[in-house]
Amino acid sequence: MLLTSVIIILREVLEAALLLSILLAMSHLLHLRLRWFYIALAAGAAGSVAYGMQLAAISDAFDGVGQELLNAALQIAIYLLLLVIAPLLVVNYYTGERYRGILSAAMTVAVATAVLREGSEVFIYLSAFRYSPQPWSGVLTGALLGAGIGFSVGALFYYLLVGMPRRRALLVTCVLLTLAAGGMVLQATQLLIQADWLPAQVPLWNSSVLVAEGSLTGQMMYALVGYEATPTSFQVIIYSASVATMALLLLLTRYHQKKIRTVRDVSQAR
Amino acid sequence: MTDYRCRGVVRLLAVAALALLPPVAQAGRPVFEIEIRGHLFHPSELVVPANTKVKLIVYNRDPTPEEFESYELNREKIIMGGQRAIVFIGPLTQGEYPFFGEFNPKTAQGKIIAQ
Amino acid sequence: MKSIRIYLVVALLSTITLVNFVSALHGYRASMAEAQQLFDRQLADTASLLSAMPASADRPKVVERTGHLAFQVWSPGRRLLMRSANAPPQPINALEEGYENVNFSGQRWRVYSHFSSERNYWTQVAEPVGLHFHLADKVVLESVIPILLGLPVAGLLIWFVVGHGLKSLHLLADALRQKRADDLSPLPLEDAPEELLPVVQSTNALLARLEASFERERRFSADAAHELRTPISAIKVHTHNLERELSQYRLPQSPVSLAKLQRSIERMAHLVEQILNLYRTTPDHYPAKFEPLDLHELAREVIAEQYADFAGRGQAIELTGGAAPLKADRFALTILLKNLLNNANKYTPENGRVEVNTRVDGDRVVLRVDDTGPGIAEEEYGRVFERFYRVGGDRHPVAVSGSGLGLSIVQHIARLHHAEIQLDKSKFGRGLSIQVRLPASPGYLFPNGDSSD
Repeated sequence: MLLTSVIIILREVLEAALLLSILLAMSHLLHLRLRWFYIALAAGAAGSVAYGMQLAAISDAFDGVGQELLNAALQIAIYLLLLVIAPLLVVNYYTGERYRGILSAAMTVAVATAVLREGSEVFIYLSAFRYSPQPWSGVLTGALLGAGIGFSVGALFYYLLVGMPRRRALLVTCVLLTLAAGGMVLQATQLLIQADWLPAQVPLWNSSVLVAEGSLTGQMMYALVGYEATPTSFQVIIYSASVATMALLLLLTRYHQKKIRTVRDVSQAR
Repeated sequence: MTDYRCRGVVRLLAVAALALLPPVAQAGRPVFEIEIRGHLFHPSELVVPANTKVKLIVYNRDPTPEEFESYELNREKIIMGGQRAIVFIGPLTQGEYPFFGEFNPKTAQGKIIAQ
Repeated sequence: MKSIRIYLVVALLSTITLVNFVSALHGYRASMAEAQQLFDRQLADTASLLSAMPASADRPKVVERTGHLAFQVWSPGRRLLMRSANAPPQPINALEEGYENVNFSGQRWRVYSHFSSERNYWTQVAEPVGLHFHLADKVVLESVIPILLGLPVAGLLIWFVVGHGLKSLHLLADALRQKRADDLSPLPLEDAPEELLPVVQSTNALLARLEASFERERRFSADAAHELRTPISAIKVHTHNLERELSQYRLPQSPVSLAKLQRSIERMAHLVEQILNLYRTTPDHYPAKFEPLDLHELAREVIAEQYADFAGRGQAIELTGGAAPLKADRFALTILLKNLLNNANKYTPENGRVEVNTRVDGDRVVLRVDDTGPGIAEEEYGRVFERFYRVGGDRHPVAVSGSGLGLSIVQHIARLHHAEIQLDKSKFGRGLSIQVRLPASPGYLFPNGDSSD
């Protein structure tokens, strides 16, 4: 049971931890107060338990595909929130403190949603052992190992971002958030295909020989950029479109903000 | 605002994507059933027609939850104890597609054979 | 990175956790693979053993109590020769040489199918998969749990070690915090760690530069004052001569401008003298000579010396209290008394009262001067010691001439003696009361009589 626990917990923790550390690092760089983070964690944890308890009812909804639909909705919600968060980060970077309330709120909801999504699976997995005669020590040890690795990666990643020069940190954050956002949409389409709400197609390629989805590298890439070994053409289009949207939005914001700053600097110089 | 302009682009893309989709029909899919009992899949090998989308109903007869997962099929779904889950699969090219129960991967193993 | 300590603890602990846990996982996987091979070999051995067993083809023999093991032996005609009680009568798995995982009897099994070419028998031996993992899990747990339990201990140790490592930083911060505003002595260098050496060195260099520039400023004022004395003396002489020469002309009255000129010269001479005093009494430079003396006696002498000023304005000056013996610098205390009396004389209106009191209060000697002048507003108490500060600012009564340095000099001398100065309302109801509390024996505080901080 040890390895199973490690894999399940590690996968879920890693997915949430990477988004958390990126947003936390940005919050640090922009001198935001940390209150939003604690609120998000608490809300996400409470949400996970509620989701886990109600999963049977959720699954039954919509002809038995309620789970897929709700998860897809959560992923798309995170994508939309990232679409708001990333440009606001750029705005705050270039022209000082603006829209801080909206930024904090968006980050709170995004982190809470991510924690809810990943936390509920952990909760369901661990709650299964209520019935089990198997010794807890294996499960618990595995869970601790998985959580330890996940949080350690998150913490080191956070310090890596915080330790960078501000400009590069912003660039890396924007690139990572863009790819992660694409990953969210990709997962959502995956779930909608599974629910038969979107048509299934023959995979465009199979890169599982290069990087298997189940491997540690695969899991990392899945967590970071939503890696998929056998995507369909539809998924590739959707992924590209969502990444392009985000990238375009970021570039426009940056252009706009630079212009504002230049205008302001010039007017100040006079 | 740049923000609104780009959200509009997203909406446009979404509408365009939906318009391009062929209408999805839920009815008329071949139905297959699998049971989970004692952290085992019954049957552990399931033959389905190739190049057809099929509806797979997984019954979890155990009191514990299980996650039906397959990297090859790109499927992942939690099934609570005593519940059933519907998963749409395919169309698949001929071949074998292993699946497993993520919560008990040592014993809950099986594969779908597309012919 | 708000705290270096938290950063180091979290980053180090994360690194340790990551490396340890990943290697533990790697070890787990390796031992699992090893165990799997071992179990597989055992299955193969059992299979070849079984295929060598004698068996009759009439009726399949059912073997009870095989533990977890299940097996079947099939004749060339696919007839069951022998099986364990927990194995089904039909073939467990397809008759193909090799290992495979299959389900039967409500469990998942590891099955080995073996074809014995000697007797053309197929043997299938199976063991539950869960059993293997259970065993391997137990072994690995034993090795992983110490790592898990060790982690909090490691965290605690790192916390203390990092705290210890940062001690010199705290010491440096304390040394800087405890420095008084006027203390520009260098920070101690000897036990600074290599990493802090540049900070200490550049701080010391900065302090040295500051000290040098202060010194330059002080020396300049002192030198300037000193240099001004001679021309002022010359002007005084010339004015005196001028007065004499004018008197020869027998003017109806002596010119008003001459009297004004003489007053201005007096004032300038006083100012220059005060600037010199201010420099001389700077605690860092003053070559104090502490000797036993009686403050009461000294006060009497200074009052006698300045009595004419008080008498000239019709003021009553009174010395009260008793003998106040202490060890102090006579010259400095004389200047202090002169300045206090001078202030009292200046600010008390004509026919006012001034009282000088000396007394012993425990290990302190207290000098108090009360007057019936306008006093000082409480909010100005802190500022009157600043150089060139005049009470009331621009509204300072023009009639009262002064340098604005008197109380600064008093403060220098008080600091030199480690004395405290208190300002208060006069005992006369209106007016200022200024109290100087001197330690009876500064030699006790500074054994070698040195006055440096």
